[in-house]
Amino acid sequence: MRAPERLWALRVVSTPEALDHAHYEGDVIVLRIANDEAIAIGAVHAELTDEHAIVEVESTFVGWDLSLAEFDEIVHRHVEWPLPAERPALAQGLVAGLPLKFWIDHDRVLMISSNGLVHEVVDRLGVPA
Amino acid sequence: MRFALDDQPVDYVDGDSVAVAVLRAGQHPQHGGTLCLTGDCGNCSADVDGVPFTRTCLTPARPGLRVRRHPAVGAPPLRLDPPANPVTSPSQPEVRVQRVHADVAVIGAGTSGTAAAEEARTAGRDVLVLDGDAGDDVVGVYPGPMVVVRRDDHVLHVHAHDVVIATGAAELHPVCPGNMLRGILTAGAADLLRARGVDLGRTATIDLADLARFDGADGRVTAVVRHDGTSEPCDTAIVTAATRAPRDLLARMVDDPRVRVVGPAAQRFDLPPAPVDGVVCPCSKITVEDLQGVWDKGFQHIELVKRAALCGTGTCQGGVCMPHLRAFVTDRSGEPAAPFTGRPASRQLTIAEAAADVHLDAFRRTALHHEHLALGAQMDRFGGWWRPWHYGDAMREYWAVREGVSLGDVSTLGKMIVTGPDVVEALERLYPTTIADIRPGRSRYVLLLNERGHVIDDGMVCREDEHRFVLTFTSGGAASAEAWVRDWVETWNLDVRIMDRTVSLGAINVTGPLAGELLRRVGVEEPPRFLQHRHLSVAGVDCHVMRLSFTGEASFELHHPVAHSVELWRALMEAGRDLNVVPHGLQALFALRLEKGHVIIGMDTELDTTPRRIGMEWAVKMDKPYFVGRTSLGRTEPLPDHRRLFGYTMEGPAPVEGAPISVGNRIVGHVTSSFTSPATGRAVMLGWQKHTPFADTVTIDGRTATVTPVPFYDPEGSRARA
Repeated sequence: MRAPERLWALRVVSTPEALDHAHYEGDVIVLRIANDEAIAIGAVHAELTDEHAIVEVESTFVGWDLSLAEFDEIVHRHVEWPLPAERPALAQGLVAGLPLKFWIDHDRVLMISSNGLVHEVVDRLGVPA
Repeated sequence: MRFALDDQPVDYVDGDSVAVAVLRAGQHPQHGGTLCLTGDCGNCSADVDGVPFTRTCLTPARPGLRVRRHPAVGAPPLRLDPPANPVTSPSQPEVRVQRVHADVAVIGAGTSGTAAAEEARTAGRDVLVLDGDAGDDVVGVYPGPMVVVRRDDHVLHVHAHDVVIATGAAELHPVCPGNMLRGILTAGAADLLRARGVDLGRTATIDLADLARFDGADGRVTAVVRHDGTSEPCDTAIVTAATRAPRDLLARMVDDPRVRVVGPAAQRFDLPPAPVDGVVCPCSKITVEDLQGVWDKGFQHIELVKRAALCGTGTCQGGVCMPHLRAFVTDRSGEPAAPFTGRPASRQLTIAEAAADVHLDAFRRTALHHEHLALGAQMDRFGGWWRPWHYGDAMREYWAVREGVSLGDVSTLGKMIVTGPDVVEALERLYPTTIADIRPGRSRYVLLLNERGHVIDDGMVCREDEHRFVLTFTSGGAASAEAWVRDWVETWNLDVRIMDRTVSLGAINVTGPLAGELLRRVGVEEPPRFLQHRHLSVAGVDCHVMRLSFTGEASFELHHPVAHSVELWRALMEAGRDLNVVPHGLQALFALRLEKGHVIIGMDTELDTTPRRIGMEWAVKMDKPYFVGRTSLGRTEPLPDHRRLFGYTMEGPAPVEGAPISVGNRIVGHVTSSFTSPATGRAVMLGWQKHTPFADTVTIDGRTATVTPVPFYDPEGSRARA
C-alpha cells in the first residue's frame, strides 16, 4: 500500500442547482459532500451560474489509494455503516472515531482524511503514513 | 483428556462442558447452588484461563484448560497468578471487532427463532441468526439497533434493521432454606447430565410448589422436604416447575419498535409465590431477609430494591432472581411489579472485549506540528488540537512578544467564509454588534450569544466586499459555532452560502513591536492598519492578513492554505533571525492576553455568562431591532445582577487559578486567570464575585487583592495600534 498523497482540489459552496450544473476544468473527481458543497479533486477552475458561490483552493485533504482487497482487509472492518452499492460512489462518516471519506470506484478506493488527523488514521487503521 | 480444576486434574469426555466434567468428577464448579447448565444462572461460573466469572456450562472442556473456583463467601479473595503489575505486565492482545450488516438479526435458534428467520427470508430479507449453541454469546442490544456478540476470538457488532429476540424461557430456581447446597439441579440440567452419562446417584424430584426446604450435610443436599412435612432422602435434588420465566433481558435493554420479542421470551408469565426464606440472588448471596431489610428502610420499588440490596446486579443479571424479586415486591406493595431495566452487558466481558474498537477523542495536529517539535515545544491538548504549551522558556517567549517579535501558531482558530444576498441580514441577526457599517477591508470584534443572552463564543468579523465576509471563532468553539451559524441561517431561510475553512487554512500570528519590520522583510511593504485586513503575498504565499491584537502588541494573523504553512513559518523564522524571533506557546499567550484583560471564553466565562457580567456591554448594541439573545438581555437588563468578573492586582506571586476569592470570612468567587506580570510588577488576575455588594478589596491566597480596571497593561491600546 502506498503512502498518502496531498489532494489539491477546489472546494465549492453554492446553491444545489448551481452545483448540479457546475463545470470543472481538469481531470476531476467531484465529491458532493453536501447538498450545497462539493470538493473537486484535481480541478483548477470551476464555472458556476451562482454569483455568490464560494470557490476556494483546498489543500487540507490527503488520500490513500487502496485496492479493493486492501480496503476490505484493512479498512472495511472499521466501518460501522453500510457502504453504497453503486460505483463510483462517495461514502463519508466516522470510521474508528475519525471523519473519513471514501471515493469507491470499480477497482480502487480513495480514502480521504484531513491532514490534521493523518496521525490518528495511521494509528487506528494501520495504514502507512 | 484432562484439564485442571484448582490445580488438580479433572478427566472429561469429548463433548463435555467444563461444568459437566466437574460434576462428572463429583465436584461442583462453584461452591453450591442450583445448576441449570443453560447459562441462565451464575452458579457454575469460575475463573477459566484467567478470565473470572466464566460460565463453565457454556465453556467446552479442552486439554490444558485452567479452571479455578472463585472463593467461597468469607474465604480470602482469589490470588492473582502471576501478580499483576499494570505498569510492567505486557498488554493483552487487542480483541478484533467484526462488523456485519443484516436486514434482520434473530437472536436464538430455537423453534420461534427459526420460524422468525424463515419468515424474514421468505419476505426476501437478509437474515443473520445468532445461536448460542454455535458460540454466539449475545452481550447486549443497543439503540440503532446494534447487537454485540462475544465469540471465541473476536467481538461481533451486528447492525440490523430489525432485531428479533427469540431467547425462549428459563427454568425457575428454588428459593428456600438450603438452596445454596451442592447437588441441586433443574430438571433440564438433570436431563443433560443423564444424557452425558453422569451418575446422579439417588435422586429426588420435587415441584417448586411443594418444596419447603432442602436438608444437607457438609454443604451437600441430603433430602428434600415438602410443605406437608414429608421428606425424601437424596444425593441429587431435581426441581421442576409448572412455569418458565421469559428470557427477556435483551429485550429490556432498548425501547425500539424495530426490536421485537417472539415465542416463550414474549409470553405472559405467572409469578411464583413470594419467597419467605433462603437466598434469592445466588450471585450476590442476597437473602429474603436482606430484601426485607431494604424494604423496611423505604426502598419500596423494584428498581430501588435492586439498587439497595444489589439483587439482580450480579453475574446472571436477574436470570435467577428476577421472578422471585418481582414476587417479593408484588407481595409487599400489592401492585404487580414489572421487571427492572435491563442494561448491557448481559454477559461478563473482559476489559479487552469491552474496549474493542472503542476510541478516544481524536486531537488534530496543525500543519506546523513537526516544526514545533523540532523547536523543542512541549505539546498539550487544547480545544481539540495538539498545541505548543511552551518551547522551553515561556518567559523568553513572553518578552519576545512584548519587546521584539514572535510567531504563534493560531491555525486552530475557527474560520468561515460567508456570502450571499442575505449575508448582512444573517450576521446582523447572529451577532449583537452592528455588522452593516463594517466597511470592506475592515474588521470588528464580536461576541456570539445564545437565545438566553449567554456568551458562547467570540471572534472577528472581517468584511471583504458587499456580500462576502470572513468570520473567526475560538479554537475550542469552532465546531459548535459552525453548527450554530448553519442552524440559524437555515431556520431563518436566508440566502447565504457558508464554507467552513477551519482545517483548510493555517494561521500564523506575527506579533510584537517588530512584527511590521518582519513582515516588510518578507515582502509586505504596507501591512494593514489596526483592524484592517488584506489579501497579500507573504514570502511568496498568498495570505489573508488580519491586523488585530490578542497579545496587546501589534499583531498580524496570516491565514493561508495549510499546504504552505511550513514554507511560510520557515520563511518568517529565517527572516527574523537577527530580530531574535522566537515562537511562543499557549502559556505565554495566556499571560499576554491576561495583562490586556482579554477573556478566554470557557475559561473566564461560565455557561450563564452575559456580556454585562464580564463588563462587555460595549460589544452589544441594544438599539438593534433583533439579534439572538436580545430578548433575554432586554428582560434582564433592568434587573440587579449578583455576578461580575473583575480584574484584580496584588503584590507577590500570582495565586493558582481556581483560588477562592473571599470577603471577610465569606468566599464570594474564584480566580479564573492568574499571572505574575513582569510588565506591571504585580500579580494580575481575573476572577468572579458572586455576591453583592461587590467588594473593592478582597482576599486571595491569604493576601489582600484590589479590584483593578482592565486592561492592566497599555490601557490606551497604543501598542496594539502602533
